[in-house]
Amino acid sequence: MAALEIVNLTVLLGAVIVLAGILSSLVALRFGAPLLLIFLLIGVFAGESGPGGIKFNDVGIAFTVGSIALALILFDGGLRTRFQAFKNVLAPAGLLATVGVLVTAALVAPVAFFALDLSWTESLLVGAVIGSTDAAAVFFLIHTRGLRLRPRIAATLEVESGTNDPFAIFLTIILVEILAQGHGSWGEAAAELSVRALVGLALGLLGGQAVVGVMNRLGLPQGLHAPFVATAALVIFAATEATHGSGYLAAYVAGMIVGNRPTRAHNAIITFLDAVTWLAQIVMFVILGLLVWPERLLSSLVPALFVAFALTFIARPAAVFLCLWPFRYAWREKIFISWVGLRGAVGIFLASIPLLVGMPKAYIYFDVAFVVVLVSLLVQGWTLTPAARRLQVALPRSDAAPQRVELDLPGQTTHELVGYAVGANSLFLRRHVLPTWAKLALLVRDERVLSPLEGGAVRENDYVYFLAPLEKARALDRFFVDMPAPSAPDARLLGGFQVSADVTLGALAEIYGLSISEEDATLPLAEWFDQQFDDTPTEGDRLPLGAIEVVADRVVDGKVVTVGLDLADEPETPPGPLTWSGRLRAAVKPLISGLGLG
Amino acid sequence: MPLDDLIAPNAVLPALKVNGKKQALQELAAKAAELTGGNERAILEVLIQREKLGSTAVGNGIAIPHGKLPNLPHLFGIFARLGRPIDFEALDGQPVDLVCLLLAPEGAGADHLKALARIARLLRGQDVAKTLREAEDGEAIYAILSASPVTDPQPPQQAA
Repeated sequence: MAALEIVNLTVLLGAVIVLAGILSSLVALRFGAPLLLIFLLIGVFAGESGPGGIKFNDVGIAFTVGSIALALILFDGGLRTRFQAFKNVLAPAGLLATVGVLVTAALVAPVAFFALDLSWTESLLVGAVIGSTDAAAVFFLIHTRGLRLRPRIAATLEVESGTNDPFAIFLTIILVEILAQGHGSWGEAAAELSVRALVGLALGLLGGQAVVGVMNRLGLPQGLHAPFVATAALVIFAATEATHGSGYLAAYVAGMIVGNRPTRAHNAIITFLDAVTWLAQIVMFVILGLLVWPERLLSSLVPALFVAFALTFIARPAAVFLCLWPFRYAWREKIFISWVGLRGAVGIFLASIPLLVGMPKAYIYFDVAFVVVLVSLLVQGWTLTPAARRLQVALPRSDAAPQRVELDLPGQTTHELVGYAVGANSLFLRRHVLPTWAKLALLVRDERVLSPLEGGAVRENDYVYFLAPLEKARALDRFFVDMPAPSAPDARLLGGFQVSADVTLGALAEIYGLSISEEDATLPLAEWFDQQFDDTPTEGDRLPLGAIEVVADRVVDGKVVTVGLDLADEPETPPGPLTWSGRLRAAVKPLISGLGLG
Repeated sequence: MPLDDLIAPNAVLPALKVNGKKQALQELAAKAAELTGGNERAILEVLIQREKLGSTAVGNGIAIPHGKLPNLPHLFGIFARLGRPIDFEALDGQPVDLVCLLLAPEGAGADHLKALARIARLLRGQDVAKTLREAEDGEAIYAILSASPVTDPQPPQQAA
């Protein structure tokens, strides 16, 4: 009976701690404190030297739980990474994730060497442990703060932090092996690293494809799709680790494949993994917090602070500026990317590896990593929003995203039903424009469900449901943002004036007397298009700008190059010819003038 | 709607001789300064500033340089037919021989935009450009500018 009691007690304690973590998110959101920090502190308080007094020093369990949590977090990160974003920043982010980690570790090492009285290899291990930017920390903080970063910066950070954990993990494991067994040259280590990366990449690709294939072919019961994917992610992770590949890289890559391929129950999977990631995050941080021994921490506090300082102000910026040097990033952007080099659970998790292996002085790594992560979450986490605003890399959040309902359509995997409430000022109602790929399927008016035929023209306060390709659904959002109506009458396309997309909104506003927000004035048109469209803008996309409309005229590699200006037309011109002959003429006219131009 | 509220008869230059875009802008600025009593340098500066964003050539041999000027009493336009087509950095690469300048007072806002749209609509009609090129003198040009119904780009009597 005593054994049962213990089990019950353990479950109770564990659940209560996790519950505290979940509830603390409210506190964190209210006070803007970095949420992850709170999870960590809950662990510390519940632990041996805190009021909780829980004796927990099983590094094995911590490591196992940490691995599972990390694999799921990385898989989820991959799931959210879109190929388009990935492709655009692959080179800079890839460099940051590999060379960047190495440079960071190498620059931290000398400080660790002098401050902590370690050997050079051990110092490098300190650097490796805290060398990676934490994907979870970065995106948790950015999302909970409601920051909307410029797409390129967000993508760079996203891909960097998603792919650098695997690299930091290799580096740590290899250094631990060298320290523990004293074998191997650096060349051998490099070779092993590439093998792990390749195996991880290959198995991730294969695993991801397999998951998609199996899911789309098997008719699993509705509720089981998401758990299937989550468990498959762990299988991919563990199988890759077992074959000496990087399971973490595999999990990330597999996630990316699943996330970017049409699958059944896509939305259910995303929602489920979102929940799983939260839980994994909380559990990981709480457990790592439990492992900390604050009394011992004090002895290495000062050297650890030195390391944290060197990392934040020297190593990370140097790595960022070096790696991004060949690419066109503004210095502001580079400073911001340096500052968002947040350290998170991965650092502490990696620092538990020496403990697990039972290395001498193992606790030093753990304590240093703990302090560094604490400082990072505290200082960088708390200053993230002001830093983004100061450095002008955040977007104004004026266009509150409309509430989008997404419904899976069983039986196929390419389309879904996307629903919106129609606001009086939405672009859809004002202009009756919609991408050609979206098809109105049904509408809800006064609590009655109508077919488009029954409903006729869409009115204010209707709910509309469109059939849209899965990957494009989000791009419909902008048509349903409730924007205030423009001050001038509707513009009609005249074509004609074209400006380079490098021109800033302010310059256009100045010449044409347009009213725009002050924040947008310094924004080049190309970037503005980038911001306003979830997908890369395509030719013909138009945006209202004060009294005129701007049209993406030429788009090269997803970047708007030239922009057409659509000026206001005479108000007395009817919006469109209504007679058949008029329509015919309107249809033929562009053909004729087109022929004339050619 | 005709353009006679924007362009006066004495603001039509039937055969302006220039060697390039810069000189064309200079000549137009000089003429505008003469007719409005404004500062030539300031006008030129405004026009060049606008051209820096992107050429105001709209294709088909037509350019509509424009800008905003403080102390201008009202919208003001000049129409110039060039003796020899010049390169105006048009996107369609065609040399430009019809230039319509538009200056707007500070704060003209929507009127400025509407006037520009009107000019663009008028000149983009294929036959309008053609008749303007074939017109005998300044008076004939002015007649076309002040008579052409913008809503119908094909004035019936000039179909020959």
